[in-house]
Amino acid sequence: MVEKFHLKLDDMKEEVLKMGFLAEEMLEKSIIALKDRNKELAEEVISKKGEIAALDFNIEKDVLHLVPLYQPMAKDMRTIACILKMITYLTRIGRYGKDIAKAVLELEQEPHISKLVSIPYMAEMVNSMIDDVLKAFETEDLSLIADFDERDDKVDALRYSIFRECISYMTENPRNITQCAHYIMVARYLERCADHACKIAEKVHYMVNGEHIEIG
Amino acid sequence: MNKDITRDGKANGSSQSVITTQDVNLWYGATHALLDITMEIKTNNVTALIGPSGCGKSTLIRVFDRMNDIIDGCRIEGKVYFRGKNIYDPDVDVIEIRKRIGMIFQKPNPFPMSVYDNVAYGPKVHGITARSHLDEIVEKSLRLAALWNEVEDRLDQSAIGLSGGQQQRLCIARALAVEPEVILMDEPTSALDPIATAKIEDLITDLRKQYTVVIVTHNMQQAARISDFTGFMYLGKLIEFGRTVQIFERPGQELTENYITGRFG
Ligand SMILES: Nc1ncnc2c1ncn2[C@@H]1O[C@H](COP(=O)(O)OP(=O)(O)OP(=O)(O)O)[C@@H](O)[C@H]1O
Ligand SMILES: [Mg+2]
Repeated sequence: MVEKFHLKLDDMKEEVLKMGFLAEEMLEKSIIALKDRNKELAEEVISKKGEIAALDFNIEKDVLHLVPLYQPMAKDMRTIACILKMITYLTRIGRYGKDIAKAVLELEQEPHISKLVSIPYMAEMVNSMIDDVLKAFETEDLSLIADFDERDDKVDALRYSIFRECISYMTENPRNITQCAHYIMVARYLERCADHACKIAEKVHYMVNGEHIEIG
Repeated sequence: MNKDITRDGKANGSSQSVITTQDVNLWYGATHALLDITMEIKTNNVTALIGPSGCGKSTLIRVFDRMNDIIDGCRIEGKVYFRGKNIYDPDVDVIEIRKRIGMIFQKPNPFPMSVYDNVAYGPKVHGITARSHLDEIVEKSLRLAALWNEVEDRLDQSAIGLSGGQQQRLCIARALAVEPEVILMDEPTSALDPIATAKIEDLITDLRKQYTVVIVTHNMQQAARISDFTGFMYLGKLIEFGRTVQIFERPGQELTENYITGRFG
């Protein structure tokens, strides 16, 4: 019976990873769509909204099912706590991808300013954090998230420099306002995604060794 | 970076110990059943002992009131202090120890006599004879054991006619009647249904205010629910001892982790 529980828990972890890769993919593709002004790709990202919401709903339901049946303790309990939090953060990351994709549709007619400022670079940093925290969840290798504080600081600094840069473009020429307003929003979404990656890292840390830590 | 904001769950220093063991070893003939057990039982707390069958839980709990003395071929080394006095010293009065440290067993074992006499038995043995005083003790003990309301109009009837859960609470009332300081319980609910079990668990939680409880249980959820401290035993050793919340959320030893998550053997 306990054996069965552990098999089910492994299945749930698989599902969470699947959801994580989907969230990551949504965010990544939304930035590519933005860079290339690719409307089809943006629409593809928006269409994944239902899929990620369904994963969130089903994982939560299935995990909650296990609790009264097996009354997990220790690491099993911590894994369940981690999963329940994680899926909320992953849903949000996916939704930010969708929000960025929506901005792409609105920006369709506008030319890009100065190579999109540093948004693609910032997105790369955020994606690598999501990637590493998912790997840490899968392999329980906490060294992958050991430098998250510094990485989060870098992301924050980038958001601020993008903000400053956009302000100067806007003052230079009012015709830049639409694009720049969107860039500021996108930078803000990316920064939030990095925060969520940090929150997930806290939960993974808790799952692995039971310590509550604060990251970011 | 990674600021650890964990509050360490280790024993709070303020609570006193009522029983302390020091390097206790116990043999049944050639079987070495307890190995170097050193632990503290804190006053007004519930301490649970968990571990796989045969690991020595019953043996250890019997050490606390010298119940192993009556077992042939049983030999014990080390010290067991009860309120600072080693109960294995030759000058110790075992009857006195068992008055101050009561024991409840897995199977309810009421005496084949009336409900009233079951509870009055201990006080009578200890010299109380006045009926009014006995009445008072019987009522108080039955109330403490959360049984009074169910038996107040059948005090003269045989205890054997009570349900299993009522019998177990009667045994607890019987133990309480002699005003012990510590109550030892060896799987007190394993023969009971969930409702009777819940009543005993509530009772144990209440008893903590006045008494110190040590309980052996196979039910880990029960240990987690009702105890303040938990000891995990394996092959005669106390592998880990600590705050219950810590043991069940974040055990320090891999053996403990494996046992409580069912990854054993
Ligand atoms: N009276 C006895 N004579 C000889 N050996 C005994 C006696 N009582 C217990 N033992 C042995 O001592 C070891 C510990 O037994 P104990 O009854 O303390 O285990 P336990 O943890 O209470 O197990 P359970 O969960 O099955 O009640 C076991 O190997 C058992 O066989
Ligand atoms: Mg036993």
